[in-house]
Amino acid sequence: MNGSDTHSGKDHLFYRSMRFCGWSGVAAVTFFIIGGMILGGMLPPLLSPDDTAAEFARRVSEHVVAIRIGSVFLILSFALFGALAAGIAAQTRRFEKAPAFSYLQLMFGACGTAVAVLVAFSWALMSFRPDEYDPTVVQVLIDFAYFLALFSVPVFSGWCLVIALPILFANEGEEPFPRWVAFFNLWAAVLYAPGLMILFFKSGIFSWSGIVALWIPFTAFFLWILVMSWGILKGAESARG
Amino acid sequence: MTSPDTAVSSAASERTKPHVPGELGIWCFVAGDLAVFTVFFVLIALGNGDQAQVFAQSRASLELWIGVLNTLLLLSGSWLVATAEERCRESVQSGSGPDARRAALQFALAILTGVLFVANKSLEWGIKIAHGITPATNDFFMYFFVFTGIHLFHVLIGLGVLIALRRVSRRERLDSKALRTIESGATFWHLVDLLWIVLFALFYLI
Repeated sequence: MNGSDTHSGKDHLFYRSMRFCGWSGVAAVTFFIIGGMILGGMLPPLLSPDDTAAEFARRVSEHVVAIRIGSVFLILSFALFGALAAGIAAQTRRFEKAPAFSYLQLMFGACGTAVAVLVAFSWALMSFRPDEYDPTVVQVLIDFAYFLALFSVPVFSGWCLVIALPILFANEGEEPFPRWVAFFNLWAAVLYAPGLMILFFKSGIFSWSGIVALWIPFTAFFLWILVMSWGILKGAESARG
Repeated sequence: MTSPDTAVSSAASERTKPHVPGELGIWCFVAGDLAVFTVFFVLIALGNGDQAQVFAQSRASLELWIGVLNTLLLLSGSWLVATAEERCRESVQSGSGPDARRAALQFALAILTGVLFVANKSLEWGIKIAHGITPATNDFFMYFFVFTGIHLFHVLIGLGVLIALRRVSRRERLDSKALRTIESGATFWHLVDLLWIVLFALFYLI
């Protein structure tokens, strides 16, 4: 097999790089739990899209310190998506003769990272001077953050799709990740889709504070990060020197 | 030397050995999707409990025949896919491909049932919207449009899967890898069918 020396060869630097990428995913989830869930009020949502602008400004002022510290953790978390994206693409690349899907993964991964980082910017900005901004500006910034995170379905679903396809197309024994990881990616891709509905609903389960459009895509996404981190760490093992 | 008896019994044990269609991954997908739809079903049931009167009135205004027709379409589609899958399995086991052409025809007919489902669903939505009933009307119709919409999204993905299966079944020779693809794809189509049956019961019947 001409491919065997590329994907079973010992390469200690590669092994260490991949360990870094894999653990970056785990760190991203940890930072999100601290920044988005415990401190930042992103999940569970501090507000609901049908609250008034004055209520938005009031709640943000009330939690301003927690939101600011949370935003720092959020941007740390989201910036690490870049390392995760690189790790996934590098593992896929080892099994390609000429790069194709690994390039696609980098495109989607870079775009997804950029979108995610903007979520943290928006979150930080709303806590910068919530009492001086017009309340509707605070409202816009929160709306913007959830739209970036949830309405960006094709970016994140597309990313999952271009991870799944090279696994499914691969010959037996030459898959970059185990085959079930492909199906897990397809499942995640489908679950992000309800995020598109936040444009049409300002209250209830399909709005940006609802179970179907917020909780299901977010849960699927952070589970997905953990699965892909595991996949990268497992892929790294074969290059261990 | 193997006696004819042992040859027969080993062939029989080969046949009785439990066979899981497709592969592990597709069953992960099925379990994951079922888990999420279970959340949807619970949400519908909770809505039904909270606003029993709104739900009952709205339910009465649905066209039952459209729902029944869609159920029959998907059930026929699943039956066609299951028979086509069986033919492909036989042709892999016998090593010859005489049945594959008929399997391709059955996949084509299954695709037709799926397309008719989409047409019928569009007709149903069209009638409702023409009468001024939209997702904004009340919670029942919000759930109705969105959850049957998410299901419709599954049907559209399923149609793509069936088109791929039809192409695979038309290959000169089917090997075990092709069969695995066919079985995994067929499993997805059965999932689409199963989800509809529960949605049908929750929206039209209860």
